[in-house]
Amino acid sequence: MISLLIDHGDRYIEGFLNTLTISVFALIGSFVLGTVLAVMRIASIRLLRWIGTAYVEFIRNIPLLLVVAIFYHGLAFLGLSGFMAGGIGLTIYTAAYIADAIRAGIQSIPKGQIEAARCSGLSYLQAMRFIVLPQAIKIVIPPLGNQFLNLIKNSAILGVYAGADLMYFGDQINSDTFDTFNVYLLVGVFYLLLTIPTSFAVRALERRMARSG
Amino acid sequence: MIGFEQVNKHYGSFHVLKDINLHIETGEVVVVIGPSGSGKSTLLRCINRLEEISSGHLTVNGYQVHDNKLPLNHFRKHIGIVFQHFNLYPHMKVIDNITLAPIRVLGLPEHEAKRRGLAYLERVGILDKAEVYPAQLSGGQQQRVAIARGLAMNPAIMLFDEPTSALDPEMIGEVLDVMRSLAQEGMTMVIVSHEMGFAREVADRIVFMDQGQIVEQAVAADFFVQPKEERARVFLSRLLHH
Repeated sequence: MISLLIDHGDRYIEGFLNTLTISVFALIGSFVLGTVLAVMRIASIRLLRWIGTAYVEFIRNIPLLLVVAIFYHGLAFLGLSGFMAGGIGLTIYTAAYIADAIRAGIQSIPKGQIEAARCSGLSYLQAMRFIVLPQAIKIVIPPLGNQFLNLIKNSAILGVYAGADLMYFGDQINSDTFDTFNVYLLVGVFYLLLTIPTSFAVRALERRMARSG
Repeated sequence: MIGFEQVNKHYGSFHVLKDINLHIETGEVVVVIGPSGSGKSTLLRCINRLEEISSGHLTVNGYQVHDNKLPLNHFRKHIGIVFQHFNLYPHMKVIDNITLAPIRVLGLPEHEAKRRGLAYLERVGILDKAEVYPAQLSGGQQQRVAIARGLAMNPAIMLFDEPTSALDPEMIGEVLDVMRSLAQEGMTMVIVSHEMGFAREVADRIVFMDQGQIVEQAVAADFFVQPKEERARVFLSRLLHH
């Protein structure tokens, strides 16, 4: 394994960095999109609710591979690279799960909380900002952490579409060396370098949130 | 100050409030009593538009409450409400529970809001709890914080929705004491309650409801001694003989 790292380290590192990049971008993108969708799903306007629900139900119930294929092959005229198509697909897919986690968190806050806030003259947005969201975030962090970990692991889908990620280079090194077991074991180690710190960070955040009341 | 005129409310096919006519003057203390499911809480919650009425007119503080153009947030800052289950904000310290709306809605500077908040906490007898979280308080203390939170907006009307129903018996007294002193100072109060002794002592007027209707309205002393309506008599005798 050491010799693999010495001989092919540059490709491992490049794949690692690309996987890191796509994960960070998809994480930010899916968090923003997921929050918007969550707010749509609890909106008082029926059309918004309908759109939000349709999105979540549609995306959650088809395979990720298919979502990426739609962007890579289905919308080939857009000329997206495997990296871009994979990133967009990953964002759109993960946003559906994040939307559901955030919606569940908001809805788990007792109705009396927003009632009390609105009765004191706070607007809907103020009540959300000062009362509902600070309480919901504590509930949402664990499932959100899970989604972020899934996102990092799911990014291996890029390997299928020449996405220049860790999985893609792993496949390449394998076909060059035929040292299959060790090549993929090392790929696994690089994924763990991303996921284990993420997992620890989420748990630390959880603890900090639990302390603050 | 508060005027219901021919107010009706339906929840789907359920007729919750039937032809309500009720007028409450400034400084009056009105206690609404009646069996559960009689519409008492719904009546109260219409006053600050937590519930929408289906027909009729409701005027509060000079506002037509169910006008589409009602400036809701502005209208509500003059009406305090205390809930059965307190509804304190668990992620905020007691003092921040009290100062949130004065700062964000009235626009008071933080130090001024805090100074006032502490004065109200002193008034309800728990000044020493300003810096703790609600979960560290007993039910009676939490409800007193909720009253202080309502008062901190300097409201014209205070609404109480079964404020002692979720409390252990030994804590009811401390909450009623605070409400009694408010009543003596001339606060306009509408109270939904099952505390008959308190109602008799503090209320200027009793409103008795059953099945969505106001069955009887009377001065407290008269009502408890000699209710005019048969349903009120039955209700009171059940309370006394259980």
